[in-house]
Amino acid sequence: MPRHTKRMPLRRTAIACAALVGILMFASMLWGAGSLTVLQSLQALLGRGSEEAIFIVHELRGPRTVLAVLVGLALGASGTIMQSATRNPLAEPGLLGVSAGASFAVVLAIYFGADSVGLHFSIAILGSLAGCFLVLMTTQLRGAGADPVRLVLAGAAFSSILIAVTTLILLHDQRTADEIRFWVIGALGGRPTSNLVWAAPGILGGLVLVAITTPALAALSLGEKVALGLGHRPAFTRLLAMTGVAILVGTATAAAGPIAFAGLIVPYFARRLVGPDVRRALPIAMVLGPSVVLLSDILSRLAVRPYELPIGVVTACIGAPVLIAVVRSHRLPRL
Amino acid sequence: MNSTSMKSSIRGPRGFWLLGGGNISILVNQRGVWAGTFLLCLLVLTALWSLTAGTPALTLAETIGALIGAGEGFNVFMIQELRLPRIVAGILSGAALGVGGCLLQTLARNRLATPGIIGIDDGATAFAVASIVAIPTSLAPPMLALIGAATAAALAFGLGGGGSRGYRFIVVGIAIGALFGALTNFMLARTDIDSANLAYPWTVGSLNARSASTVALLAGCVAICLPIAKILGRDLQLLRFSDAVAVGLGTRVKRTRLAILIVTVCLTAFAVAVAGPVGLVSLAAPEIARHLTGHRGVPVINSAWAGAWIMTAADWVGRTVFAPVEIPVGVITAVIGGPYLLWILLREPRRTA
Repeated sequence: MPRHTKRMPLRRTAIACAALVGILMFASMLWGAGSLTVLQSLQALLGRGSEEAIFIVHELRGPRTVLAVLVGLALGASGTIMQSATRNPLAEPGLLGVSAGASFAVVLAIYFGADSVGLHFSIAILGSLAGCFLVLMTTQLRGAGADPVRLVLAGAAFSSILIAVTTLILLHDQRTADEIRFWVIGALGGRPTSNLVWAAPGILGGLVLVAITTPALAALSLGEKVALGLGHRPAFTRLLAMTGVAILVGTATAAAGPIAFAGLIVPYFARRLVGPDVRRALPIAMVLGPSVVLLSDILSRLAVRPYELPIGVVTACIGAPVLIAVVRSHRLPRL
Repeated sequence: MNSTSMKSSIRGPRGFWLLGGGNISILVNQRGVWAGTFLLCLLVLTALWSLTAGTPALTLAETIGALIGAGEGFNVFMIQELRLPRIVAGILSGAALGVGGCLLQTLARNRLATPGIIGIDDGATAFAVASIVAIPTSLAPPMLALIGAATAAALAFGLGGGGSRGYRFIVVGIAIGALFGALTNFMLARTDIDSANLAYPWTVGSLNARSASTVALLAGCVAICLPIAKILGRDLQLLRFSDAVAVGLGTRVKRTRLAILIVTVCLTAFAVAVAGPVGLVSLAAPEIARHLTGHRGVPVINSAWAGAWIMTAADWVGRTVFAPVEIPVGVITAVIGGPYLLWILLREPRRTA
């Protein structure tokens, strides 16, 4: 493959991306939608300045930054693994309806009166599992599975049904409408700090599960028969990988709502940097993911000051051109 | 002498009627006519039924009386001034969306390529919202909706390789739709709450928000575009083959494509201006029409009837099922149309539109 001969060395790329994450985390502490200047934020970060400034920087922006990193990790990794497991360069938790499944499950739970944070997380994971199984089923269909684009359409149809039913619930029950609205729009700000406590172990667990499957997924990319010959079990591998993806996406969605396109952008650039091998792309995606989410979050704060944009608007503006680029590339890259 | 008597004895092929005589004669698909009559009857019945529903509910006799101006003054006012305009708006927008869907599906040779899916709806919505919240122009929202729809269609066709490259074109359309959707959200987030409320009806499909002048505009558009679409339908039949075959059979492919695209964009934009993005009508209506008509030709007129019927029925359901809460038409069509879309996608692909 002559196109990929110029791939970057893995370690140096990873270090560069990690440095980028560090810089963006720092920037995320300094810039906000409010009236606090950068200088004031810097002082507050060092523990000086007014009480209000210290509160904003330490209590609001701090957890938000950590949340962005966690969600970025989850979305970057899940996008990469999903693309590899479905052998489809367009697979993405948001586009394929997995995030929609997770957020819809939470909406249903709230509607029926569940109101503990832990319950929301487990229900979101269940919802994203359902979404993942739909994706797996679709890929196993003859005809439909071979066509990368049809999967995206199925995901879009699935999401649109869920959105419509969510609207129905919103109309039906004004009382919980506000609480639900909070869940169906992706946003990092204004989430309770207790989210972090639940999100961290979930995302860590998902990452471990996903990391275990990478050698088998790499073998799968050589073809089903080769993988079988090498002693892997393709169906089991896919199931395990998708369960990991479901845990990651469910946790991320419960923590920050559905954020579309992040899982598409990250693997695309990761593969551009280090080549299509999932064992190389996954670590890069795990450092690129937080950068993309952090950057989108910072932009979402600065675009319409003094208001904030939903982060999904920013990721869509970055992601839609990437989607077009992937689809337009002369031949869809095989995974 | 002999030739005229010959001509009168010529009969249409099986399943067709031969109309006219002399130099001009038209073949009419019998099954298509029956299907159209059936859909039209269904539409009239549903519309009447929908007119009776509401608070207070009227009997069918009272409704028909009120329609022709007889009966209690209050009933006449209610039917003619309140309920009838809404039904008319539904019928017109449904018909426009149905025809738009039918044309675009045939043009792209793919039954999933409908204005709603490839982002034309979103483009129209984004520009209409822009005219309300962001840009202080005197341009009426419907006109900007038209510009938005044209922009989205041009982008989708330009970037998607002319619409003849199957699913690739549709995914480009989805991306463009997402982009315009994000723009709409962006503008709604930027603006103050009053303008946002003013623009909100544009973002969910509902017949509640229609204004009389917009409906009149749509009526004009349908009156012009429907005959054009019917005429273009003849060329469109040939476009279902490959480009080479179509050219060989005497179609000017590029010109036909452009004309069809313009008609589709106009119909969709004005329908969205009236009813908001109710995209799934344009997916389901041609499908129903094709099912009833059989697979001869392009069912332009029947798609219009089917679309009008879906819209009227969905509006009726939305108004009555959860009364007094009203469910927007867009939600109803998504709940019904979404599973249908999934079914089209996931079953074995046997034929294309």
